[in-house]
Amino acid sequence: MRPTVEEQLLGTCRILEQVVAPCVGDAYARTMLDGLVANLRMLTAALPAVPGFLQDDNRATAALLAQLQPAVAPDLAAAMDTALQSAEPQATHLAALEARNRELRELLSQALGGTELTPALREAVLAHMASRAARSPMRYVSTAPSPPKAS
Amino acid sequence: MEDSAKSAAAQVVAGLQALIRDAIPSARDIRFAGLERAAGGLSRENWSLDASWVDEGGTHSHRLMLMRDAAGTLLSTDRMREFALLQALDGAALPAPRAWWIDPDGRRLGAPSLVMDRMPGTCDYLVLNGERPLGQRLELARGFLGLMADIHAVDWRARGLDRVLGTPKGKPSLAELAHWEAEYRRVKLEPHPELDFVLAWMRRSAPEAEAIVLVHGDFKPGNALLDGGRISAKLDWETAHLGDPLEDLGWVTNPVRKREHQIPGDWEREQIVAAYRQRTGRRVDEAALRWWNVFSIWKLAVIQLTAVNEFVAGRYDRVFQTPTWLYRPMFQLMERSA
Repeated sequence: MRPTVEEQLLGTCRILEQVVAPCVGDAYARTMLDGLVANLRMLTAALPAVPGFLQDDNRATAALLAQLQPAVAPDLAAAMDTALQSAEPQATHLAALEARNRELRELLSQALGGTELTPALREAVLAHMASRAARSPMRYVSTAPSPPKAS
Repeated sequence: MEDSAKSAAAQVVAGLQALIRDAIPSARDIRFAGLERAAGGLSRENWSLDASWVDEGGTHSHRLMLMRDAAGTLLSTDRMREFALLQALDGAALPAPRAWWIDPDGRRLGAPSLVMDRMPGTCDYLVLNGERPLGQRLELARGFLGLMADIHAVDWRARGLDRVLGTPKGKPSLAELAHWEAEYRRVKLEPHPELDFVLAWMRRSAPEAEAIVLVHGDFKPGNALLDGGRISAKLDWETAHLGDPLEDLGWVTNPVRKREHQIPGDWEREQIVAAYRQRTGRRVDEAALRWWNVFSIWKLAVIQLTAVNEFVAGRYDRVFQTPTWLYRPMFQLMERSA
């Protein structure tokens, strides 16, 4: 399918930068425009990685919940049980992958918000979270405000 | 100027004229020059202008700065509280701007707004790692630290700041945590187990305060103006409160904002803490400071989630992401405390 999604996003960036930006005189609007273009470039690279990331994260989070299950309150353990028995969504169904991710991460939040964990569980939790943060495809793209003017 | 910017400028002019007439009924020939919205300011619109008018007392001209709450904001703060604080600080040996007028509910300006003196100087949020020679940058770094100590030394009882800001009940660390946890619950759009994990740790290990002082709450070069080699103004007092002095110290020594607050090899955590100890005579407990470092990063994460929420709601013009880059530094600091 040409233009591909990537080609369209990159083409949009080019037009915004080369055609639109030179005509934007207002400092605030120009700073916002620069930020939006930078974010579109980030999205172009990140978008293809999102379904795979969610699928991997759902598997990893489910495995961690199974480890934590014996250490949590009975009602939370029962909720985990139900969630862990559900089937994983197809990789092509993005909305279902996101919903599953929210469900599993909500249970993880509840499991971590209470009492202190054993050192082994704590280590497993930290490893999971650090690894997830490192693999997350979306990145904040900072853009500095336009240069300051003398008062 | 684009149409929307023109319309916002017209609203500011009309609102400000009304605000001046409310405060000075005899004011006439009210004129504004050089009205411009600054591109910076993540939480509020900052408009600079020169105002002049004639009243019973004669002709007046002032360099003013109007801070108007943006449609989307990263900090939910109370303009009235900030106005009262700046008035209470009037005459203190601090480079805080004089506050002139307030529109607390946005009746005149469309959103809560505060008008204050425009102080001389320019803002350079990365000045400590900018192009100035090392000696000058170190001088400025010591100047910022000294200014922080001066803020912490304000006699808040004598100035009635407890009536303006309230005093923390119990540990200031837990009071601030409760404040920011409420903000976290309000703005989060999805579960964040990483932040809940850190929150639970902070609840369990919250430190006692060595003293109760006036805390700026967002102490950084980006909230200051420089006039040559001198710090000419400290701005953005909307998060100031009475609390633990280590809160500000924890903010400037937290590892994720080193580029703003530290100079590699010459002005790092160790030197900053030593200088603060020498200047204030405070003990500065390392474990407590580390807790405030974690808190600073967690608070920064909540502010970014606020931006995500505001962007999704269509009220904020910058795209922010879930702040995954902040997780690892928090975990590392927590591990060091284990």
